[in-house]
Amino acid sequence: MATCSECKKFFPLEDDPTLGDCVQRVVDPRQAYYKAKPVEAEMDASKCSSFQKK
Amino acid sequence: MAQVEIKKGEKELLDDRQYWWWAEKKRSPRLNYLRKGVWSKATKGSSWLPGVKMDLENARRQTRVFKEAPPSEPFIITRARALASVLDNMPVFITDHSRIVGYPGSAPHLLTWICTGSSTLNDDTINDRTGVISDEEMEEAREIERFWKGRTYEDKFVQYQNRKERVVGLMADYAAPGRDIIAMDYVVPQCDWMYQGFDSIIATVEDNIKNGEKKMRESPTAEEQVSYMERIDTWKAMKICLEATIRYARRLSRLAKILAENFETDPKRRQELLKISETCYKVPAKPPEHLWEAIQFDQIVQVAYRLEWHNGSWQWRQDYWHWPFYEKDVLEEKNMTRDEVVEYCAEWMIAAYGFGRAYLRVGREALQGTPGPYVWTMGGVKENGEDACNDLTDCYLESALLARVCDPTFGFRYSAKTRTETLRRVFECIRHGLGYPSIRNDDVLIPNLMHWFGHPLKEARRWVHQACMAPAPDTKWAAPALRYPQPSIATGSKAVSMALFDGYDPLTGMNTGIKTGDSTQFETFDEFYNAWYEQLKATFKMLVGMEHRGRNVEALFFPKPMTSSLFERCIETGQNSALCKERSSLWFTLFVFGDTGDCLAAVKKLVYDEKKYTMAELKKAIEANWEGYEEMRMDFVRAPKWGNDDDYVDRIWVKIYEDLGKMSWSVRDINGQPWPTLPESIAAHTVQAPKIGALPNGRRLGDPLYDGGCSPGHGFDKKGPTAVLNSVGKLDHVGSVRATLLNQRLSPAQLQGEKGFTMWRDYMKTWHDLGINHVQFNMVDNETLYAAQKEPEKYSELMVRIAGYSAHFVEMNKITQDSIIARSVQKF
Ligand code: SF4
Repeated sequence: MATCSECKKFFPLEDDPTLGDCVQRVVDPRQAYYKAKPVEAEMDASKCSSFQKK
Repeated sequence: MAQVEIKKGEKELLDDRQYWWWAEKKRSPRLNYLRKGVWSKATKGSSWLPGVKMDLENARRQTRVFKEAPPSEPFIITRARALASVLDNMPVFITDHSRIVGYPGSAPHLLTWICTGSSTLNDDTINDRTGVISDEEMEEAREIERFWKGRTYEDKFVQYQNRKERVVGLMADYAAPGRDIIAMDYVVPQCDWMYQGFDSIIATVEDNIKNGEKKMRESPTAEEQVSYMERIDTWKAMKICLEATIRYARRLSRLAKILAENFETDPKRRQELLKISETCYKVPAKPPEHLWEAIQFDQIVQVAYRLEWHNGSWQWRQDYWHWPFYEKDVLEEKNMTRDEVVEYCAEWMIAAYGFGRAYLRVGREALQGTPGPYVWTMGGVKENGEDACNDLTDCYLESALLARVCDPTFGFRYSAKTRTETLRRVFECIRHGLGYPSIRNDDVLIPNLMHWFGHPLKEARRWVHQACMAPAPDTKWAAPALRYPQPSIATGSKAVSMALFDGYDPLTGMNTGIKTGDSTQFETFDEFYNAWYEQLKATFKMLVGMEHRGRNVEALFFPKPMTSSLFERCIETGQNSALCKERSSLWFTLFVFGDTGDCLAAVKKLVYDEKKYTMAELKKAIEANWEGYEEMRMDFVRAPKWGNDDDYVDRIWVKIYEDLGKMSWSVRDINGQPWPTLPESIAAHTVQAPKIGALPNGRRLGDPLYDGGCSPGHGFDKKGPTAVLNSVGKLDHVGSVRATLLNQRLSPAQLQGEKGFTMWRDYMKTWHDLGINHVQFNMVDNETLYAAQKEPEKYSELMVRIAGYSAHFVEMNKITQDSIIARSVQKF
């Protein structure tokens, strides 16, 4: 099972690598931005449509 | 159209008064990107703009924490943990080219929804038919709404209302929905204290907890010992919130660093991202030392307390508190150029324009076209009485020309000492059609603050706009931490019809007023006047009573730990922001009050002085909405009108204002202080038009009411600007009311060039010397307004001043647009 830790968009916390940020590029109809949401390294990535293998 | 216009040079665009294109040409690529990309949370009429959606993130996280909270946990701790959960988990984002980061939502197009405040607001939110909640999220939103039914602040407060109070609040035709239904605050942060940094505040809180634990056991009396229980909980909750806010800022810092190190290819932008990262790591934990750090500090604070409770305004005095940073960065160390400061200020204005919240439909209508109103306070005097205007004031005024947002707007504190170079820039903003700054008279409002609340002179000089109009000092014992005032709708003009019909409102068919007698039996005008005054006082008394209880419900059962943690007095006492008493700065808004004086004058003249009509005939005509009585109606329309320097009607206005003053001293708030009124209207003069029946000034049901608080009726001021000022100057702006709003329209053609500025400056001097507290201007000609009605797509950026805020003209409903066109254009 793929996990977030194997994903290109996963950036682990320095002091606790079991946690991290999922950083994604978003382009909406008006502006573009980068977005970060907290994820766990071992979270199941099999159903994530944004998963990109490192 | 864009290609055609933008080919013109800057001067040509200015000469043609095409200020939007001028701004676009003048702005840096960064500002153009951000200005065009910002998601405005203003509404068109009462509907959100296309693409704007509700953010469930806050509601989802808060609900989860409350569902799982152990029943034994103190409520204030659960509140703090719920907010911390949002700050720790809500997605954060950084928009391309931006340098000021942080937003109270998980994406730029999303509205903040606080689900803990009001079940009515929750109902309104999930029942919105415009798709503001997506189909995929609707079930979850409903689940959140169901969970909070019976648990919100409003539900708690309803238990202390009788049937009449509840019905009147919900009907919104007589009294505005109160603080329970709207669930919105006006918080004035105490800048000088906050800038010590949150680490330092947390250290104080930790000491207080430690000492409190000791005193809870060792104090000499039982009463003292137990008093520490609640205070310790409050301090612990504040600490949770402050720490979570630091972590939130550091999440932004981390994102900026990740972007710089992994994504960004442009070396210049990479440096900017690293600077954002450094800044958000530092503030708000540590004191800001540079201008960009102070701005970022403020932005994070805004995000944090707007995630706890909705805030209707944005109370700040940037040019005053940020001036030391400007001096250091621009003048001494030369870390920034002046042009860079102007760009930073404009960027901040644009970022603020993107803030928005879930809001009741009635509120969205009354404030159509604005996401706020966020009024930033500029200018004024310093604590020592010297002119506080500085080059940063000028930078903000210049940045407004570039940003051209309808929110935030500026409230400019004008004093006898205001320097000319700053006034020149104020005028430029007005000339560019922004509708702001609104101008406030420091030499009236400072004595006003001292008169009503006993604020010491030095503190009174520290005032900021608490909402669109009301000044409040941002000092330790005066800075308001909540929205105490109840905005009452229609108690002026509606009280006139209730005096006519003995407390009965023919429009709603309800006895909303009190029994003041059969008006056909009144033998003198004074009897009729007294009936009106008794109706007004009864409403006033009922609504202020609701406010005391509403505040107490918050103090006892629904405290706000994040908001409380921003106030020195709350940290010191261990009391939450509703419990800890301040030296008040409250007010009682009288929406659509302006018609009252002209109604009473017409009754006096035609019924009592000239005896042309009987009261019975007047009542019949009013009940018929003047239908079949056109000739009679025109007599009432032609009766003397306010704004023409006519003593007949002006004397009645003066008496009304004097009596408002007396009424204000007849009650005391929870802090033992009087409750002054504030006549103004936002867009209520059109929104309330279908809810207020025909009136004796000749107005029919549905016709717009008078805008402002002391503005003449639309088109009724026929004797020029000086006559208007002379009328308004007869009112006591210190002792009768907290403030009152004056709208004026000026001719853009007449006020061109240096001559135009000189004329305006002379006008302002007269306004100041007459002791008038407020004035705001529209300077757009009718030709442009009619063209915008015809082809709105070509005028999407055309702004106008409504009554307390600015908005894009094409986002107003037709009746509001027409009421602006109907205002007299004053010629000098
Ligand atoms: S994109 Fe999906 S898999 Fe990758 S880090 Fe984010 S959540 Fe995990």
